[in-house]
Amino acid sequence: MTDRPELHVDSATVCVVTDLGRLAGPARGLAVNGALDQFAARAANALVGNAPADPLIEATGFGVTLRPSHDVLMSVTGAPAEPAVDGRAYPAWAPLSVRAGETVRIGVSEAGLRVYVAVHGSFDVPRLMGSCAPDSMIGFGTQVTSGTVLPLLRSHPPLVNRRFGATVFDFGIPRDVGRVSSVLDVIDGPDAAEFGTGLQRLYDSPYTVTPRINHVGLRVAGAVPRRSVTGEVLSRGVPIGAIEAPTGDELLILMRGRGITAGYPVLAVLTSRALDHAAQLRPGQTIRFHRTTASAATAAYLERRRLLDRIALRARTAFAALV
Amino acid sequence: MTDTRAATTMSISPCGDAAVRVAVDGDDTDRVWTAVHRLAGWLNHGGIHPTVTAVPTYDAVLVEFDPYYSTGEEIASHIRSWDITAGEGGAAGGGVIDVPVLFGGEAGPDLEWVADVVGHPVPKVIDLVCAGEPLIRCLGGPAASAMTDGPDFGVPIPRLATPRLRVPPGAVSVAGRQTVIGPVAAPSGWRQIGRTPLDILRTDTDAVVPYRPGDRVRFVAIDETAYAELLGTPMRYRHDD
Repeated sequence: MTDRPELHVDSATVCVVTDLGRLAGPARGLAVNGALDQFAARAANALVGNAPADPLIEATGFGVTLRPSHDVLMSVTGAPAEPAVDGRAYPAWAPLSVRAGETVRIGVSEAGLRVYVAVHGSFDVPRLMGSCAPDSMIGFGTQVTSGTVLPLLRSHPPLVNRRFGATVFDFGIPRDVGRVSSVLDVIDGPDAAEFGTGLQRLYDSPYTVTPRINHVGLRVAGAVPRRSVTGEVLSRGVPIGAIEAPTGDELLILMRGRGITAGYPVLAVLTSRALDHAAQLRPGQTIRFHRTTASAATAAYLERRRLLDRIALRARTAFAALV
Repeated sequence: MTDTRAATTMSISPCGDAAVRVAVDGDDTDRVWTAVHRLAGWLNHGGIHPTVTAVPTYDAVLVEFDPYYSTGEEIASHIRSWDITAGEGGAAGGGVIDVPVLFGGEAGPDLEWVADVVGHPVPKVIDLVCAGEPLIRCLGGPAASAMTDGPDFGVPIPRLATPRLRVPPGAVSVAGRQTVIGPVAAPSGWRQIGRTPLDILRTDTDAVVPYRPGDRVRFVAIDETAYAELLGTPMRYRHDD
């Protein structure tokens, strides 16, 4: 064991170190990328007293097994999961004190797809334009596989008794915080008019999530609205969450790794809140799109961000009192 | 909003709760493009809020923001009060990049098809692509691709009905009235007419690609021998030593 704290990854399948995204990327032609479930990523960092944009682990579809070299404070959020430390189960969405050498197993339940693991002090990983977010198109990022060793910037003294986690650390997190909705709120897109009355199909029809889902996009199968006008269009910036109809039988929802420009018209755009839900969808699930307004979407988003502010404040206060 | 001096108009449409699209319309495409890049420059330098970022293209700016700090309506009202005609500037670049291209064959599987659409023999099409020094209008997807005005073909080039799953790094492709140089392997629905042997993208520097909007490119036709010799040479400005 070295003096430098590290996190040993004993098993991982589809797993990366990421953050909230490369905010300087879009202006220079790169996708923003970053955690697909932004709320869960922010919450994981808040729960261990990290800054919102600190690097953390995103595990997709499969669980991870981790073993810290030093005492650490970690948190698990995202898809419903029950972390186990040396075989003993602890709640997710709460700070979790892990001693040096203990083994933490984190599964991903069928009720979601992506789990986030933050460690107090975060990881020392390479960055590009200030962000560690992987970009599959340019081949940048820190992949996590079995045997990966992630350098930690700090250790954390053990909290006296892990058992008090749920009671002492009452951060006011609602019980259903990780619940995934299969109804996605969307706002009519800038090109909605090109689809005329056909746009209504988007709101009337169920869609099935296909296996083709990744950081770039999520394809769903179902009744595709037809465009009523045609013609060559100049490439334009496309928003994250844009719903496009490039083929006859599938809709494409653009995620954070999308190429920043495209020539397809945008029917509708997922709200920020709906993007977090979309990040947790599994192939085969049935979803529906629900039309909402920008002001309603902003209100829903602010409610969640204010919850994060409260968690972050309470976590910082609690740890400051303990350490 | 109409500004008769500039003969350009802006229209702002919501794109969800975290972005708006600003489309600039006008008869003079250079003027429209300059306004688009000036607006993006102002936004990317914190004109409204540090969390507001802008993706400028030919005639539009995608403005993205964190709805925690601003709303689309606030952003739109700031942009409407921004003077579309004031000041100098626009896209930052001003350099020239020579781009050697191997046309046709495996490097450009759609070259003959494009020649058919254009109605010229292949050598004439290559001459048109290599004529002049088109401006890099914007950096687009995927991965900071250099997007320029297309060659003077006289007709728009239709995209592929079914996009290719992978085109190689360095592909030079056309669609509509645009040309694109793609730094990385990616799916594409554009018509690939050639390929440059130069290395375009690197991830050990924040610049990532060696060009900016406002730079110009000169396509230079090369043969397979030259292609092999140049393979892996870093792309850079003509006057760099």
